[in-house]
Amino acid sequence: MFDAQSINLSLEILAVAILVTAFLIVSSRSLLFYVRLFSVQSFLLGLVAVVVATGFGEFHILVAAVLTIGVKAIAIPYVLNKIIDRIKVHKEIEFNLNITTSLLVCGLLVILADSVGKPIIDAQVMHALPVSKVLPESIAMMMIGLFIMLARKQAVSQIVGLLTLENGLFLSGLSITYGMPLIVEIGIFFDILVAALILGVFVFRINETFDTVSVDTLRRLKD
Amino acid sequence: MSTLYFSLLLGLPLLSGILCAFLKRRTLLEAITLFSTALTFVGALLLSAAVLRGTSLITPKGWFFLDALSAYIMLIVTGSAFVVSVYSIGYLRRQIVNRKVDAKMLRLYYMLLNIFLFTMLLVLISNNLGFLWIGSESTTLATAFLVAYYERESSIEAAWKYVIICSVGIGLALFGIILTYFSALHVVSSQSTALNWTSLIAVANQLNPDILKLAFVFALVGFGTKAGLAPMHTWKPDAYGEAPAPISALMAAGLVNVALYSLLRFYILVNKAVAVGFAPTLFVIFGLLSMVIAVPFILVQRDFKRLLAYSSVEHVGIIVFAFGLGTPLAYFGALLHILNNALAKLVLFLTLGNVRLAYDSKIMRRVSGAIKVIPVSATLLIVGVFAITGWPPFGVFVSEFTIVTAGFAAGNIFPSLVFIGVVATIFVGFIYYATQMVFGEPHRRIDEGDGDAFSLILIGALVAILFLLGIAIPSFLSNFIRQAVAIVQG
Repeated sequence: MFDAQSINLSLEILAVAILVTAFLIVSSRSLLFYVRLFSVQSFLLGLVAVVVATGFGEFHILVAAVLTIGVKAIAIPYVLNKIIDRIKVHKEIEFNLNITTSLLVCGLLVILADSVGKPIIDAQVMHALPVSKVLPESIAMMMIGLFIMLARKQAVSQIVGLLTLENGLFLSGLSITYGMPLIVEIGIFFDILVAALILGVFVFRINETFDTVSVDTLRRLKD
Repeated sequence: MSTLYFSLLLGLPLLSGILCAFLKRRTLLEAITLFSTALTFVGALLLSAAVLRGTSLITPKGWFFLDALSAYIMLIVTGSAFVVSVYSIGYLRRQIVNRKVDAKMLRLYYMLLNIFLFTMLLVLISNNLGFLWIGSESTTLATAFLVAYYERESSIEAAWKYVIICSVGIGLALFGIILTYFSALHVVSSQSTALNWTSLIAVANQLNPDILKLAFVFALVGFGTKAGLAPMHTWKPDAYGEAPAPISALMAAGLVNVALYSLLRFYILVNKAVAVGFAPTLFVIFGLLSMVIAVPFILVQRDFKRLLAYSSVEHVGIIVFAFGLGTPLAYFGALLHILNNALAKLVLFLTLGNVRLAYDSKIMRRVSGAIKVIPVSATLLIVGVFAITGWPPFGVFVSEFTIVTAGFAAGNIFPSLVFIGVVATIFVGFIYYATQMVFGEPHRRIDEGDGDAFSLILIGALVAILFLLGIAIPSFLSNFIRQAVAIVQG
């Protein structure tokens, strides 16, 4: 249907676009913008799944693609937007690390991700498996997701960071194994959705109890 | 046949949990939970007996299975769940009287307790590593609202940290699973079996060792977070401190072992695929680190539930360290220690739950003279403290002694000396706090009111088992553990 080269090219373009959304999250301070970017990121991820599914004839991944777009690009962003409206906090005021430094760190993380991914790509070459070039991007996504959780203080940003990490995981799964067996993917999606809902409920409770949603206030428990 | 057994085993707590969501009557909620946990325990006993007889329990597609190792952990988990459900009845009834809990909260509690058990069982019978992951993440989700149960500022903080840290951890474990799957794709012919542990272990020596090493590191961080291995243990004192006492007990006696079990599956796989030394060395390092990190927090502690949480960090360290020694004797000690630690943790969390109800505080300096206020619980508590700190004639002593012997025999002289030092220091801290709480005079007038007879008898039985395990290990148990050791050896 398609030749391998054009499939790989479109995968790479999509993966870079996904990475760009992660960088844009790091560069922004509006919570609504985070959520919108996360939604775009998940939509692009859904497209990656569509390309892998049709390009390599792994049609079970189409279900994962529909789930990605339905759950991560539509449902979770909808819930997060509701939360932001209710808690009436729209901006990230304080940072643990300012935006310029954050972007620099994330740039370094991308370089680091490239070297982490190398043994895996070597193994692909060794076993004559189709080499996926998007693995470094997926590892970079995971690292940037973790980084967002460390650098940002708002509870909503923490959730977006966690979800970015999970998008990175999904991308890595797609790129090196063409996705897990379908039933496993469905279970993973269910867990992620429930986790996002539970964290959403906690954001409300934190807001009610502490009158703020900065996780900085969560410092009572100490030894 | 095994499909039927497994569906019953999973279905019972799951359906009971769903049923509890629609019920209002207190007695019904209690009866259903008691019934489901008791039957699950009986089911686990029957399945263990079948496994020990050599019956292979694996579903046709190989997604679910049970061997001696998972059966052993399952017995501990379901037994703990049964004890906890008996204890919960009396504990929550008293909290209703104290107006700490209302009817809605009661329903939530019993629903989530059942779901929690279901998620742990899902991990234990999963052969497919994807299902194992789904189960692990579900244990966090099932317990999230139990940690936040009392909706205090501190409990919401604890629950938030708990879900965030464990979700990140388990996310990294998923990457480990993806890498393992990837390493197997070119070896295992069918995609649907490439995630099954039994097919992976069969072809372990053909898997790419570099990829598996990387996968193991991610699995160690991920499941280590769930188990509360240092330095990923930071959620543990918060979560154990804030959850209701019986839930903390089930987390420390059940969930910890479920997480250790998941980690162990990767350990076995990597040991078979990678040149010796890689995974064991990491286990020894992280095990020792957890033991050492726990010491200062145990010596300078105000809160008795957090004290137990750090004790849990210490004992997870002991178990991981023991597995890292890599000899059959050490494996035997580690598996025996899993049982002993679970028994002792149940005793301590549940008796301290009674202390908490009597004194309405978990701050140790506000508790004194417990022996006069709640004599039975206080007696069991002090015995439990001697048991957990490794005094003869209790089971913990035997397993710790086995582990140290194995450590010296394996030539790990320095780590074994550190082990002894840690255990001795922690003993001092524990005895200091326990005697302060148990003896002396109460600071103020405390209404006498011990736990209910049923739970006290059960806790007493646990103490008796700990005592018997310190005298002699019954042959069916040593036989059981030896079969599990054979699996760990690969």
